[in-house]
Amino acid sequence: MALLIESVSKAFGEVKALDGISLEINPGEVFGFLGANGAGKTTAMRIVLDIIRPDSGSVTWNGRLNTELPRETWGYLPEERGLYAKMTVLEQLVFFANLQGVRGKAAVRETRDWLERFRIPDYADRRAEQLSKGNQQKVQFIAAILHDPQVLLMDEPFTGLDPVNVALLKQAFLELKDRGKTIVFSTHQMETVEEMCESIAILDRGRVVVAGSVRDVRRSTGRQMVRLAVQGDSEIAWLGTLDGVHVTRRGQDYTEAEVAPGHDPGTILAAALSRGCEVRHFQMTDPSLEQVFIERVGQIDATERTLAPSAVQR
Amino acid sequence: MSGWRTLFPNAWYIAMREYRGRVRARSFVIGTGLLAVIAFGAAQLPILIDLSLSTSQTRVAVVVTATGMPSDSLAVLDRQLNGQSADPNAHKAYVLSWMPGGDVASARKDLEAGKTGALLVIDRDAAGDLRFSIRTDMPADGRVVQSMTPALTSLEIEDRLFRAGTSTAALLAPYDLTVSPVKGSPGGGRDASTEISNYLLSTGLIVLIFMAIVTYGVWVAMSVAEEKGSRVMELMLNATTPMQMLAGKMLGNGAAALTQYGLILASVVGGLLAQAPIHKAVVGTESSAQFGGLSPSVIGAFVVLFILGFTLYSLLYAALGSLVSRQEDVQSATSPLMVMIMAGYFMSVAGLQAIDETWVRVASFVPFFSPYLMLARVSAGHVEAWEFGLAVVLLLAAIAVALFVAARIYSAGVLLYGQRVGLRQIIRAARVPR
Repeated sequence: MALLIESVSKAFGEVKALDGISLEINPGEVFGFLGANGAGKTTAMRIVLDIIRPDSGSVTWNGRLNTELPRETWGYLPEERGLYAKMTVLEQLVFFANLQGVRGKAAVRETRDWLERFRIPDYADRRAEQLSKGNQQKVQFIAAILHDPQVLLMDEPFTGLDPVNVALLKQAFLELKDRGKTIVFSTHQMETVEEMCESIAILDRGRVVVAGSVRDVRRSTGRQMVRLAVQGDSEIAWLGTLDGVHVTRRGQDYTEAEVAPGHDPGTILAAALSRGCEVRHFQMTDPSLEQVFIERVGQIDATERTLAPSAVQR
Repeated sequence: MSGWRTLFPNAWYIAMREYRGRVRARSFVIGTGLLAVIAFGAAQLPILIDLSLSTSQTRVAVVVTATGMPSDSLAVLDRQLNGQSADPNAHKAYVLSWMPGGDVASARKDLEAGKTGALLVIDRDAAGDLRFSIRTDMPADGRVVQSMTPALTSLEIEDRLFRAGTSTAALLAPYDLTVSPVKGSPGGGRDASTEISNYLLSTGLIVLIFMAIVTYGVWVAMSVAEEKGSRVMELMLNATTPMQMLAGKMLGNGAAALTQYGLILASVVGGLLAQAPIHKAVVGTESSAQFGGLSPSVIGAFVVLFILGFTLYSLLYAALGSLVSRQEDVQSATSPLMVMIMAGYFMSVAGLQAIDETWVRVASFVPFFSPYLMLARVSAGHVEAWEFGLAVVLLLAAIAVALFVAARIYSAGVLLYGQRVGLRQIIRAARVPR
């Protein structure tokens, strides 16, 4: 009972867009897809939607192959946004609802309902070309969810929205999650992922670098982060001299250091006290997703370049 | 290809959207209105021509100093100039005042005063033949002199025959002539005027199909490229299947095409129907224009071939349209198709001259050309029922194949952005199933 992506590969000519990715996304979960441009996020989504077929591997939802599922199962917000410029908002939303199996008055009612929720009920009779980009994006989001799909796939849903609309969209996400929908979205914004997602996968060059719950992913490096602030010494120069400790950020508020796997962060506190420092702040955390992302994606990048330069032909 | 089973109702929704979008567009409304007005006006052209003829009248004074002319000379001249009409009230372009032994000097005064438009003096030369002299300010190659010349020739001949003791009536008395067809071969026993009107009709119908495929086929390609360019395609891809999109676009644009054609044709028919009463009111005589030889079988064949031909070509237009990212590129992407359509058109125009040639018969079964050539043969009346049936079956088969290939090119093509798409990519796209 899940969205299962099993050993999916897809090549476009010479370029391997996906190289045997496997993922399990649990029903009712908010799942984040992370990856640099060209990592294969969009291709993966299109394969799940059966818009393109993989060269090998399969996708199942609750045990049924995606090729056999009705299209209404999915709601899709593509990365490339577009609407019919000359049609009114209401007309085209009803059109999309019709295509996805919502008929007659129900389509109009649902459309008006969602426009209301996104605070754009007055735009129902405007042509799409008269709307701002942000409002067009909201209309597209509505087009993706009007038919109450079981699984939502959203490609960069938050880019290009102002903070107010981002908040509105996040609210809608949570509401859909409460209704039991499974939501998969891709993004570059790490804070959004840490805020919204239960599980994530980091993709790089068509491979899953790391996947799992957000906490597991953050711990996957084995490193821990320590934030330390002491009275009267904003530099804390001695911190970098400790074994297995690497300072990553120096600030007026606190200094952040990375503690290598196998080293006890507690030794930092002990060292500070033994030097007679007045500790104002001491915090142990996991690395942020951003740090994990940069480390993992950067690392693979480096190995591939040094070990297998011939494999990176583009 | 699970799209087969679930073609509807989505194809229907897409067709409705396409149709509404087309028909509501200002360019469609204005274009259709303009063409309808032009078509209506064109149907009234015979009235204008007749009217311009009927309002002009030339008075011709005929001073006859020659003697011994046949008694019906005036009647012959009148008939030659004004044509034969049973209607005594019919309009006459020339009013003749016949003045035997008249005074040339006073007739010239009338001419100079503008009371008459021309002065014709008839006398005899030394050999006894009639001699004519026309005095007029109208140009020597103008209508008056042009139509006077054969009339005078008739008069001269009439006079010479009269003097020789015979008459044209005796000379032109009917004789026996029988023409019979060789063993009921097709086209036998038709008279020449039917052949000519069929030729004109065929040409007209072929042009109609040609125009429809070129104009409305491009619509289909445009609408695909538009969706791709505005990226609505991405939303559509999840909501529908390529097969549904193809079918919907064909239906919607085809219906819009038929709407425009229907309105224009209705305007032509309306114009022709209105022509008779208008002609009567304006010109005062019955119209001489008549409906051509449109038989139900020709109309039926036209509708069938129109729909099948449009379907086949619009499928290919949709496939080619899916390969470009911008509407501006549609023209160049669809040019190979244009060449094919032009080839079929020119073949059929050439084929009309040689409707019974073997190559015309063979080509009239080839799906891409049959919409033209089979229509040409049907309207020429040179075709057996089974031949038409075979052409239709082959067309349907070609449509099935085209649908299959087009759906594959389409489903791959709509995802290709910003690339120059060559033949190799098209073939590769068509090989990979969705």
